[in-house]
Amino acid sequence: MVMFQQTRTHTAVCLAILAALLLYAVMGGYFAREIVVEIAILAILAISLDIVAGYGGMVSLFHGAIMGAAAYGYGVLTVKFEMHPLPAAFLGVALAAIFGTLVGAIVANTAGIFYIMATLAFGQMAYTMVFQSRWLGGDDGLAGLPRFDFEAIGIDMNDPLAFALFAIVLVILVYLAAAGLLRSAFGRTLCGIHSNEARMRALGVSTWIPKMRALGTSSLLAGIAGILAAQHTQYISPELLHWTVSGEVLIVVILGGLGTLTGALVGAVAFVALKHGVGGYTDHWHIVVGIMLIAVVLAGGRGLFGQCHHLLRQRANRSANATGDGSKSHA
Amino acid sequence: MLEIRNLRKSFGGIEVTKNVSLSLAPGERRVVLGPNGAGKTTLFNLLAGELKPTSGEILLDGRPITHLSVSQRARAGLSRSYQKNNLFEDLTIRQNLQLAAAAGKGRTTSLLRDPLRDRELAAIVEEVAEQVSLSDMLDIDVRHASYGNRRQLEVGLALATRPRILLMDEPTSGVGPGMIKGFHHLLANLPRDLTIVIIEHDLDLAFDVSDRITVMNYGEVIFEGTPEETRGNHLVRDIYLGNWQADA
Repeated sequence: MVMFQQTRTHTAVCLAILAALLLYAVMGGYFAREIVVEIAILAILAISLDIVAGYGGMVSLFHGAIMGAAAYGYGVLTVKFEMHPLPAAFLGVALAAIFGTLVGAIVANTAGIFYIMATLAFGQMAYTMVFQSRWLGGDDGLAGLPRFDFEAIGIDMNDPLAFALFAIVLVILVYLAAAGLLRSAFGRTLCGIHSNEARMRALGVSTWIPKMRALGTSSLLAGIAGILAAQHTQYISPELLHWTVSGEVLIVVILGGLGTLTGALVGAVAFVALKHGVGGYTDHWHIVVGIMLIAVVLAGGRGLFGQCHHLLRQRANRSANATGDGSKSHA
Repeated sequence: MLEIRNLRKSFGGIEVTKNVSLSLAPGERRVVLGPNGAGKTTLFNLLAGELKPTSGEILLDGRPITHLSVSQRARAGLSRSYQKNNLFEDLTIRQNLQLAAAAGKGRTTSLLRDPLRDRELAAIVEEVAEQVSLSDMLDIDVRHASYGNRRQLEVGLALATRPRILLMDEPTSGVGPGMIKGFHHLLANLPRDLTIVIIEHDLDLAFDVSDRITVMNYGEVIFEGTPEETRGNHLVRDIYLGNWQADA
C-alpha cells in the first residue's frame, strides 16, 4: 500500500485512456459508443471501490448493490413519481450514499473476511428485497427510465455520441473527486488506518468514523455509476444488485491495480475490451480474464497499471544510482 | 497531573496489577523499574486505555479518564510508545510522522487540505525528526529502515502528537550503547513541562534521567523514591543484582 500520489505515470495513463475513449466514441459507430459507456460505468464503480478496498483496506462485496440502490432510486422517482431526471438523480445518489454510510456504520468494526461477508450479506439483502418487491417490478425490473434532458443547451442525450461524451465527462469528474479525496487529510487518515489501525487509535484517531465515512463517500461515487447505468439502458433489473456484479468490479480493480486509482480505469478498459474482443470468438471469455487475473496475482498482485508503475520506478532508481547521485548514496 | 488510584487488573484468576497507586506531578520524569513479568507494560496498557482495569481509577488533571477509549485518552494529551515497534510499515518515515502530527493537531477529517503539504505539520515533522535523529532518513520506507531507526521512529511517533504526558515502554530495548547515549540526549532536550513515564531496564539511564523511580515486582509497587534512595534500597538490589528467585 502506498499513499496516493498523482505521479506523471498516473497522469499519462489517464490522459491516454481518456483520449482513446474519446477517439473511439467520436470515430466509432453506435456499437463503439455503447462500449465507451459500458467502460465508463465500470470505471466509475471501480474507482469508488478502490477508495475503500485499495486505500482503506476494506474489501467490500456489495458495490453492485450500492450502484443498484441509486439506479432504483432514480428509476422509482422518474417512472413512478414522474419526477424530473436531475433532482431524481441527486436523490438516487443520496440514497446510495446513505445506504453505504449505514452499512459502513455497522461493519466498520469488522475486518478481513468478516468485512467481506458482512457487506455481501447486506448486498444480497438489498438484492432479495428488490427481487421480491412487486412494486419495484420484481425480476421484470423497471422500464422507460428517462435520460437527462439537456435540450435547453442544445444537447440531445438520446444521441449515442452525446451520451458517450457525457459518460466520459463523468469519469473525469469522479476520478478528480477521488484523487482529491485521497490527497485530503481524510484520505491520508484512511491510509494510516489501513496500514496500522491500532496505532492510529493510539495517536488519537477514533477509527470507526473515518471507516464509515469512507464507505459512505465511496457509495456516493458508486451511485453516480448507478445513475449512468440506469440512463444508459433506460431499464433496470435486480441483476444490477447481484453480488456477482460486486465480484466483477473487484476483479476489475485487482486486474488494473488495487490501490492505484488509475488502475481502476485500466482495469475497466481491459475487462470490457476482453469481454467484447474475446467474447466475439467464444462465450468462454471469462477464462481469459481468469488467466490474466492469475498472472497478475502471481506477478506480485500489483495489477496491470501497478506493475508498469513499479517497473518504471525501479528503472528510474537504477539509473539514478548509475549516474552516481551523490545526495542519495549516503542514506 | 496523572493519578492512579488502587488500580487492579486480573486475567482469569491471575492478578497482574495489584492495587497500584501512583501520582505524577506536572513535568515529572518517572522511571518504572522491575524485572520481566512485573506488570510494567500491563500498567501502561491500563494507562493508555488498551486494557480496562478490573477496579480502580485513573485521573488526568483531576478528572477520571478510566472510561475513555484509547483515542480519547490520546486526544486528552496522553501519548505512548511501544516496547515492540508498532509503526506504519508500508509508509515512509516522513509519512509516519506526518500522520502522528496530523492526529495530534486533529487535522484528520478535512476533505480539502492535503496534510502532506501542510507547513505547520511539516514543521512538526522536521522538529521531531531532528529530536530523534532521523532528519536524513525521512524519505526511506519504514520497512527498509534499520532496527535502530525504527526504534527512534517509535518514540518519534509518540512525540509528534505533541502530548502532555509521554509514556515510553522500553524505548532503548534491543539497541546498542551508542543509541542509548543518543536517547539520553533526546530526553535531556525535551521540554521540561512534558511529563514522562519510562519503563526501563538500563539502570544507568534510569538513575540519570528520572526525578523519581517506581519499582514494581509481581504486579505490585514495592518501592518509590528518588534515584539516590533507590540506589541504596536493598529490595531493588535484590531484584537486579543477585537474588535470582525474585526474577523467576
